[in-house]
Amino acid sequence: MIAALAAFTALTTIPALGGVEIDLESIARNWSNGAQRVGMLLTPDWSILPRTWEPMYQTLSMAMVGTVISAALAIPLSLWAARPTNPNGLTRRAVRFSLNVVRAIPDLVYATILVAMVGVGTLPGVITLVLFDIGIVVKLVSESIDSADSSYMEAGRAAGGTQTQINKVTALPQSWPVMASQILYSLELNVRISAILGIVGAGGIGRLIDEVRGFYRYDALSAIIIEILVVVLIIEVISNGLRKRLR
Amino acid sequence: MPERTTHAEAEGTQPSASVAWPIELDAVTVRYPNGVVALRDVSLSIAAGEMVSVVGLSGSGKSTMIRTINGLVPATTGTVTVGPHVVSKLRGRALRELRGNVGMIFQGFNLADRASVYQNVLVGRFAHTPTWKSMLGMASSGDREIVLRALDSVGMLEKVWGRAGALSGGQKQRIAIARALSQQPEVMLADEPVASLDPPTAHSVMSDLARVNTERGLTVLVNLHLMDLARQYTTRMIGLRAGEVVYDGPASTATDADFEAIYGRPIQSRDRLGK
Repeated sequence: MIAALAAFTALTTIPALGGVEIDLESIARNWSNGAQRVGMLLTPDWSILPRTWEPMYQTLSMAMVGTVISAALAIPLSLWAARPTNPNGLTRRAVRFSLNVVRAIPDLVYATILVAMVGVGTLPGVITLVLFDIGIVVKLVSESIDSADSSYMEAGRAAGGTQTQINKVTALPQSWPVMASQILYSLELNVRISAILGIVGAGGIGRLIDEVRGFYRYDALSAIIIEILVVVLIIEVISNGLRKRLR
Repeated sequence: MPERTTHAEAEGTQPSASVAWPIELDAVTVRYPNGVVALRDVSLSIAAGEMVSVVGLSGSGKSTMIRTINGLVPATTGTVTVGPHVVSKLRGRALRELRGNVGMIFQGFNLADRASVYQNVLVGRFAHTPTWKSMLGMASSGDREIVLRALDSVGMLEKVWGRAGALSGGQKQRIAIARALSQQPEVMLADEPVASLDPPTAHSVMSDLARVNTERGLTVLVNLHLMDLARQYTTRMIGLRAGEVVYDGPASTATDADFEAIYGRPIQSRDRLGK
């Protein structure tokens, strides 16, 4: 197995075979450039911080709004994408196929296209997050419904229930802990992603990152990166706490 | 020994089912899509209000037979008649209405473990509730009342807001009985209702079923593989072997030889539950 992996890696990096070129020498050649940047990154310029509050607030709002909208859409879609909660093969496959397509497109591609479509700002950012979240939440939740015990479905059918009634009254509370957990996870991911989306014009702290990077202010950049790290950690701690209460 | 609370006084206030329904199977054969023939040319007539056990080893077709009665398994040929309905002719809404009149309990209880006891029993009101009302979570006060009474009649009222998964096996089966009772059914089906329970709990669940028959007058059909339970709790016994009826007669006087004919082998100790 390891030998096969090593052989595969070796083959794909031989340029003669059309592989990708990995030029290790360039690290040594450009070392002085890198060292200077690293030096600036190691001395964060905290004076940038007051300018970050507004875009950081924007980033967090985008993450939050994106999570709420995507959750509202992902809950019914998850039930339609799982076999026990949607025995109709045709609609189930249609939902799954559409979501595979949605998931296949990278978030930055969505953001770039949406900025061109609806203009610069937080709106394309929020739409990007919603599309990204739906893709992962529906996949993970519907797979967990598929693999969970669904014998209660038979009782609902035996009592003369429609699939919608069974889903609402039993399947939804049954899969709620998984759904809530995945929705919280998507909130964590959103904070991270929305920090980047500004680089392509989709609002938030990313716009500022792009600006200071353009001016080679790596010391300010480093302060912003540390700020994002702290925010992400706080969100993670909160969502871990909430998730524990779901069990 | 799990608690065995009966609320006789509450029982009297429970609205009883209108009239029990008779069940008639006429030359019913069930062939599954994979070619397995689970039921061969079975003809039976069960009168309204009878307490019938269906005895057979696993694979004898008793689960299939009980499911033809509420249409969970369609009869390949032959007709199943339940009360005024011919089951095989029903589709969609009409089939759901029939199912609303036929309560069913299962070996594995079939509860949504993470949902509350209340939500699980509310399932019994599905056939009487428009889908949009269920969607909005609007149970009528009448439905609420029926659910609480059904829980009270099996002595589980105090668990109504707890999670179904937190209960013991015997308690779960009682919730499942309450779910079936809240349908206010004419017929009660039970598919191996005590096979996952310990002997004392099994006896208390069987007597709950017997009370459903005597006090509410429902037609009760219960699948069992244990001979002593069939003899003790039911009046009529139907023996199934390899999808065919091999015995049909009184349960209490069925001899060991009758059971050997149903099982197709000598009686073993595991064919009895004991006390």
